Amino acid sequence: QPERLVLTSTLAQQCQAIVIYTGWERHALVGSDIRLSCSFFSWRWTSEDVTFSWTYRPDGSRDSISIFHYTGGEAYLDNKGPFKDRLEFVGNPGRRDGSILIKNLEFTDNGTFTCDAKNPPDIVGRPSSVRLLVFEKVPIQAGVITGAIIGVVLGLLVLIVVIYYLMRFLVARRVFSLNVRSVSGPAALCRWGFCQSRPEPIPGTDTCVAKLA
Amino acid sequence: MFVLAGIIVLHISTIILLLVATIDNAWWVTETVSTDLWGTWRLKSSEWHYHNLETSPDEFLQSVQASAVLACIFSILGLFVFVAQLFTLPKGQRFMFTGILQLISCLCVMIAASVYTAELHTGASGGYGHSYILAWISFVLTFLLALTYLILRKKSE
Repeated sequence: QPERLVLTSTLAQQCQAIVIYTGWERHALVGSDIRLSCSFFSWRWTSEDVTFSWTYRPDGSRDSISIFHYTGGEAYLDNKGPFKDRLEFVGNPGRRDGSILIKNLEFTDNGTFTCDAKNPPDIVGRPSSVRLLVFEKVPIQAGVITGAIIGVVLGLLVLIVVIYYLMRFLVARRVFSLNVRSVSGPAALCRWGFCQSRPEPIPGTDTCVAKLA
Repeated sequence: MFVLAGIIVLHISTIILLLVATIDNAWWVTETVSTDLWGTWRLKSSEWHYHNLETSPDEFLQSVQASAVLACIFSILGLFVFVAQLFTLPKGQRFMFTGILQLISCLCVMIAASVYTAELHTGASGGYGHSYILAWISFVLTFLLALTYLILRKKSE
C-alpha cells in the first residue's frame, strides 16, 4: 500500500504543471507604450494567492532585476529601477492575466522580460520570456512593398478593362446623350474601338456593285 | 500559318525566360554566393546552403521583385489575350490589346533590371549572374514581340 501512495502522488505531480504564455518577440517604436501580456494555464482553479512576477534582463547583460510583483491581491511596481514611474499593471489576476504596460519606451529598454506565475498549490512551471526590440523606425517586413505594388498595378489593370467595356456598353445603349446627328462625335469614339464596325449597305443598289465600291 | 506558329513559339519562350529570370536566385554571383531576388545561396565546405536575404530586403529590392513578377504576369496575360483575339478580332485589325500588354511587360522588365543595376550591389566585388542576363534578353524579346503585335494585322480575305 505505501507503493500505491507513492504512485498516485507522482502522477498527481505530473498533472499539476502550470504553463505560462507570453509573446515571443515584441517590436515597438521609441517613445511609444507597449503592453507585455502574460497568462497561464493551470488545472486548478485560480487561487486567491495567485502571484505574478516580471523580471528584466537588459540586452548583453547577464543579471536580471525584478520589476513587478503581484501577490495577495496587491501589485508592486518598480520604484527604484529603470522602469520607475513607467510601469502600470493592466492585467486581471482573476482571469489569469498578468500583463504590464511600459510607457515611454527608450532604447535602453531593449532586453528580455520574463514572467513567472504561480497558482498555489500549482507552482511547478517554467517561466516564459518575451524579447522587446525598440526601433526608431519600424522596419518594413519582407514582401509588403512587393505585394502592394503588384496589387495596385493589377487592380488598375482590372479597373481600366472594366471601365473600357462599361463605356462600350453605355455608348452602344445610347445611355450617354451624344450628339448623334453630328459626324465627328461618334466617329471619334469609333476610332477608339467603341463601336462595332459594320459597313452600312447602300440602299437601292445591287449587292455586287456595293462590294466593288 | 508559319508566322503564327513562330510568333506563338517566340512568345512562349519569352515567358519561360522571364520566369527563369524571376524565380532563379542568380542575379548577383560571386565565387561563393549566388543571390537575389528571393534568397541567397552560400557555398560552405563544398555544399550550397539556402539563406534568407540578409538585411530585411530594402525597398529597392522589393520593387525589383514586384516589377519582375508583374512582367511575367503581363506576358502570360498577353499570350491568353492573343489567342482570344485570334478568334474574336475582326479581320484586318491590329492586335492592340496584346501589343499593349506585351509593351507593359517590356516596361516592367526594364524597370526591374535598371533599378537592380543602379541601386543594388554597387561597389561590391562579383558579377551579374544568368538570371540578370536573361532579364535583359527578355526585355529585348518582349519589345520585339510588342512591336510585332502592334504592327501585325489579322489576315483579311
